Amino acid sequence: MVGLIGYPFSRAIWLSFTDKLVGYPERFVGLRNYVYLAEEDTFRTVVRNSLVFTVASVALKVLTGLAMALVLHATWRWRNFFRGLLLLPWITSTVIIALTWRWMFDAFPGRGFFNSVLLDAGLLTRPIAFMATPEGAMAAVVVANWWRGFPFFGVSYLAGMQSIPGELYEAAAVDGAGAWRRFWHITLPGLQHVMVVTILLTFIFTLNDFNIIYVMTRGGPGTATQVFATYSYEVAFNQLRWGRGVTISIYVVPLLIALIPLVSRHLLRERAA
Amino acid sequence: MRDPRLTRRHFLAGAAGASAAALAAPLRLDAAPAVKKGASLRLWILKTYVEPTNKAIEASAQRWAEKHGAGVTVEYFTFEDVQTKYVAAIENRNTPDVGQLETGAPARFAGMGQLLDLTSFARQIEGEVGKPPANVAPVTVIGGKTYGLPWYIMPAFWYVWRDVFDKNKVKLPSTFEEAKAAAAALNRPKDNFYGLGQSWNRTADGYGVMQSLMYSNGVGWATKDGKYQSIKTARMQTVMKWATDIYKEGLQPADTLTWTGSGNNENFIAKNIAQTSNGPSITFAMENAVAKATDAKERKAREEALANHLALPHPGGAEARRMWAIAMSFGIFKNSKDPEAAMSLVAHLLSPEETLRVMKDSYGQFTPVLDKARAASREYFNKNENYRNFGRAAEWFVATGWPGPVTAAAAEVQASNVLTDAPAKVIVDKWSVDQAIDWADKKIKEIYDTIQG
Repeated sequence: MVGLIGYPFSRAIWLSFTDKLVGYPERFVGLRNYVYLAEEDTFRTVVRNSLVFTVASVALKVLTGLAMALVLHATWRWRNFFRGLLLLPWITSTVIIALTWRWMFDAFPGRGFFNSVLLDAGLLTRPIAFMATPEGAMAAVVVANWWRGFPFFGVSYLAGMQSIPGELYEAAAVDGAGAWRRFWHITLPGLQHVMVVTILLTFIFTLNDFNIIYVMTRGGPGTATQVFATYSYEVAFNQLRWGRGVTISIYVVPLLIALIPLVSRHLLRERAA
Repeated sequence: MRDPRLTRRHFLAGAAGASAAALAAPLRLDAAPAVKKGASLRLWILKTYVEPTNKAIEASAQRWAEKHGAGVTVEYFTFEDVQTKYVAAIENRNTPDVGQLETGAPARFAGMGQLLDLTSFARQIEGEVGKPPANVAPVTVIGGKTYGLPWYIMPAFWYVWRDVFDKNKVKLPSTFEEAKAAAAALNRPKDNFYGLGQSWNRTADGYGVMQSLMYSNGVGWATKDGKYQSIKTARMQTVMKWATDIYKEGLQPADTLTWTGSGNNENFIAKNIAQTSNGPSITFAMENAVAKATDAKERKAREEALANHLALPHPGGAEARRMWAIAMSFGIFKNSKDPEAAMSLVAHLLSPEETLRVMKDSYGQFTPVLDKARAASREYFNKNENYRNFGRAAEWFVATGWPGPVTAAAAEVQASNVLTDAPAKVIVDKWSVDQAIDWADKKIKEIYDTIQG
């Protein structure tokens, strides 16, 4: 515990209170890094980008995961095959996923998948630079993040659905409840704890995401997709300002610390149930 | 507030102690330092886009190892991860014996006390390898002492399609303003062809060109003494206007700002753009393409493309032609267990014979800077018009922080991406030019207030 968690965590906290530069010993400066970042316009952009990226990605994953679980929960031929196939995004390397989506959104004529298809189909006369605008670039990284992560939600919700007693659905059907009412009044309440745990865990992971954004956009165009992890990396490794770079990551910690007891509480409640 | 740890006196004192210990034994003037049999060194070198160069440097190092019965382990860093690797090595006290250093690295690492003072060593091998020109020397001479030995520069040139210019009767540009005018004349967005491809991305293709643009227009963020000076000037307005107008006027593909380091190469070779700034790796790619042609028709098309592409001298500005470039030098880290062997290896790599062998495998991207190698390479660079320009690159070179010396603060200005983020804020975030210049100036001042020397 001390070696794996205690020491690295406390060292990071300490560094955030110093003006550590690479190659030099650190000096205690109190809250100077925190104050500096709070007043820096780039950091405010980073906070906004991180929240947009995280909330949008998680929302898409929840919806798609639910849909995936509902489809795979039903009985139909080839169900088992598709259960395996839909796990592919989750087991593929994140870097491969990011490079693939970057290629797909590429505006380079004849190379980007979407542009090639649309140009060849005659639906476009000029390629679309999907990632050239802040909104387009953010949408692109959200899509890549969503695609990578929705199977986790699907598998979790599927497991949750399979633990809901079938008698409840039978009784509801006998009472005349249609599919939507059965979903709203039985399935969703039955998945409540699973949903809270998956949403909170993915929120934490996505808020700290680095690979997808670094590979796809490097935080650009400009700082349009710069998030905590990529900005922290840039400040620490390019600008050699380790104290400030660590502080960027530490800023998120109070929020994450607040979320962790929620996760634990729901996990324990789930176990007790 | 200035950081007292980061004054020149601090690092000079540290470096002097380390170098005195390393050079305690006098060196023979007519030979590199002696090498103990069984010496083992780690050498870090840059992995460029031109694979034969990388292999040639590795082969040169192995020739040294065989000659001296020593061992060399060659490890690579790339343009993308150079900072990450060196930072990790410094903090973990796991630096190589010899490392290739990019333009700002000698100033940064010397300031940290990481590099040996090579002043005496440089003087002693000068007779064998020569000296760099006066405009290149500041890269490795910090506070009057030599912390690295420059080997070559990877210059930037203004690539154009000659046939496109000829067909449209547009003059080949020699200044940034002419390049912009040419871009406007050649721009055909309806045909997916654009007049220019200049990305303000966080690579040398971005911050390097921005520096060339600034310095050529007489704009520098430092004085001749290396102190901060404001960039809130009319000339910087001109610079920023050029940097942003090329986007606002639709002279470039819409996704230019999102290109990676090879985005402009690909777009130029695919003939989507008429002009771009790049190192000779474009020429390498095109020469390589001819060599790999699979049939006569393909070969003919690729030969035509090769003949039609021109690498012009980098544009000048209102004041002069000043070209920022990647200047690679060798430094010896103070943690080296065998500094004498390290010096012997460096002397071997820098020798004119070895330099020429590596250079000939570099397809022009490697322009030697030490005068003996420069003299020996004149015939090689006389191959054609493009290569003659490659060979002249050292004439136009200016280093980071012009007109001042390369300092740790100047290197950080480049590394902080403020030079590319400033135009991006106008293009993407719709700031005004004044706002962007104010923001950049504030960032630069803050860096100079924190880091000195």
